[in-house]
Amino acid sequence: MQKNIYSALAAVTLAVTGGSFAGTASAQSSDCTYPLGAVLSLSGSMAAIGGAIGDAGQLAVDQMNEAGGMLGCEVEYRLRDDQGQPNVGIDAAMSLVSIEGVEVLLGAIQSGITMPVLTSVAVPEGVTQISCCSTAPNFTELAASGDTQGYWFRTLPTVRPQGFVMADIARERGYESVAVIYVNSDYGVAMTEAFNDAFTAAGGTVTEMVPYNQEQASYRAEVSTALATEPDALFLVAFPADGATALREWLSFGGTQNILLSNALRATEFIDAVGAEYLQNAAGIDNAQFDGPSVDAFNAAWEERFGSAPEGPGLHTMYDAAAIAMLAAQKAGVYEGAAIRDAVREVTGPGGEVINPGPEGFARAIEVLAEGGDISYVGATGPIEFDDYGDVSGPYLIWGVSEDGELTQVDTWDVERVNELMQGQ
Amino acid sequence: MVGIALYIVFFLTVVSIYAIIVMGLNLQWGYTGLFNAGVVGFFAIGAYGTAILSGPDNVRLIGGFELPYFIGVIGGILIAAAAGLIVALATLKLREEYLAIATFGISISIQLVALNFASLTGGANGLVGLPRPFYQFFTEPSVYSVFFLCLVLVFAAVVYVALERAVRSPWGRVLRAIREDVTAARSLGKNPTMIRLQSFVLGSAIMGLAGGLYVGFIGFVSPIDFLPILTFQIWAMLIVGGSGNNRGAVLGCLIVWGLWTASGYVISNLVPPGFQSRAGALQAMLIGSVIVLTLLFRPRGLIGEEDVISTHAGASATPALQADAAEKG
Repeated sequence: MQKNIYSALAAVTLAVTGGSFAGTASAQSSDCTYPLGAVLSLSGSMAAIGGAIGDAGQLAVDQMNEAGGMLGCEVEYRLRDDQGQPNVGIDAAMSLVSIEGVEVLLGAIQSGITMPVLTSVAVPEGVTQISCCSTAPNFTELAASGDTQGYWFRTLPTVRPQGFVMADIARERGYESVAVIYVNSDYGVAMTEAFNDAFTAAGGTVTEMVPYNQEQASYRAEVSTALATEPDALFLVAFPADGATALREWLSFGGTQNILLSNALRATEFIDAVGAEYLQNAAGIDNAQFDGPSVDAFNAAWEERFGSAPEGPGLHTMYDAAAIAMLAAQKAGVYEGAAIRDAVREVTGPGGEVINPGPEGFARAIEVLAEGGDISYVGATGPIEFDDYGDVSGPYLIWGVSEDGELTQVDTWDVERVNELMQGQ
Repeated sequence: MVGIALYIVFFLTVVSIYAIIVMGLNLQWGYTGLFNAGVVGFFAIGAYGTAILSGPDNVRLIGGFELPYFIGVIGGILIAAAAGLIVALATLKLREEYLAIATFGISISIQLVALNFASLTGGANGLVGLPRPFYQFFTEPSVYSVFFLCLVLVFAAVVYVALERAVRSPWGRVLRAIREDVTAARSLGKNPTMIRLQSFVLGSAIMGLAGGLYVGFIGFVSPIDFLPILTFQIWAMLIVGGSGNNRGAVLGCLIVWGLWTASGYVISNLVPPGFQSRAGALQAMLIGSVIVLTLLFRPRGLIGEEDVISTHAGASATPALQADAAEKG
């Protein structure tokens, strides 16, 4: 067996040395390199989407190198597999940070892996972490408590801004008191909390917040509880089938037709089930797709590289995470976690020269930064602006229902308007 | 160099925590022959027990009792032991394979409870902001890492010494007797059911201790920490290291977890850019083949079971037994 151990050791040693040779070979275009670390699920339960998300990061790194590299050096993309397991993920992150000298970590995909990487690697080691894909609301809570020390960012919008926009609409319509009936899931809880925070801050009263469990035959108890508080309006955070059941009971008990609806209810089946005539005074919110040259630039680059349209979760947001990481390091002038953390908000948000995805965009960014100018990265997901907790907002649309039961678009909220609202609170 | 040292501290902390679980499993399987395929369930109970007892107060949760960390750990151990007792009473009558299936099912159920009992466990979001012992006394995170490693090593050493004493005592010899031949043990007036129960509960409590230490190390717990694959990893460590030998259990942890993590490093350095996203499968194959090779060339594990474990047996008995074992091996 001793022999076996030795041969195994020899194989590992050989592999490691071989690896460093490969590293040197790829770095020939410039004499220095910086590692950019990513921890994603390439195998395990998220394997189906993880590979493509990894490719999106690779695309951004390749384009940066084409543009001349980060801080004059070639960027080496160090992608590690977390196998869908937190223990493997934190080990990969720790090895990237401590052995390979990574100062920015991208990832992970599942919140249950992203969180331990953040709390046990990124924050203690002073490394900036940008996730493409983790939506759990407890990241916002952790950031608000100060425990992330500002090292945490994510490029995927959370539901929190939606709650704020709905609170603004409620005030605009003159509602003084609103009751909320919401689905008992992390989505429903987060939306309701955000609405409550914003509406209360704006001087309104949330009379009651009633959770409901999905797929019940009737929601009489929940509806009665909400109705007993006699609110000016109802905010229903639900999915179509359950939402229709609850709203019909609400209306049949004589509840008000001043109704606010969440994004998942923007469906004709919901409107047909409730009846369009009762929804004339209803307003809902939904995510809007951002269109513009920056999105087209990413889509075109992806199609050219991989021969298919960039369809699938996390591609646009992962590309933006990688691009922001590299641009922030460029802005910071030094490859160091805390400096990159502080520079992230300086290369995003409005105010600077607009930088689009692609080698030309990155080359222009390097040029402007070298001249001491400001840049404003507008990414594959559109304009990006991180709030105090490292979250971003998306563009939204406000919808209503016409007399013949069609969905109508009442208003649009672009990212600037959402951010203005979020900051005003 | 500092970076590598930091990583080694991190790595050894994880290995020590796993070593504690593997020693717990070794007591159950290696000495008593109880096929526990639900290791991760008891690890999870210890972790959640500690997290709920010592975690910060939260209006949305039942838990968050803000007890001192070590009280939380003791609570986690007791809850894991209680769970072990319930499971043992319900399933220990089953023969090996059936016990494996039953415990596997139970561990899945425990993980599902953690996922769905959101008002207690935080559901899919998990519990955040959990306390780390004595964290406030350290300003430098790297010094704290070294301290925490020492803390875990102390616990691992205590478990190791205690188990070594236990399995070399008369009680330990009864465990082996039951494993080898229940009827013979019973004919000698031993109560196999009671002894098995004790072994199972004690092993579960040790796994619970590891769960509590894990919570202190990460400061976070969520259901995804307790996927069934972790049970497989723990078993691989025990089998590769040598079941029925505590030193083997610890060595197996070091080797298997080292292989698991080093393969990721090697592959990300070997695979050219552009193929990185496809390299995950290679890692799994590499890990699998090394485990298979170890088992082919070393079926009893790297350090197999000792033939004589009694402290009372005379030296004269040893050579004969070893010769006997060599023939068998």
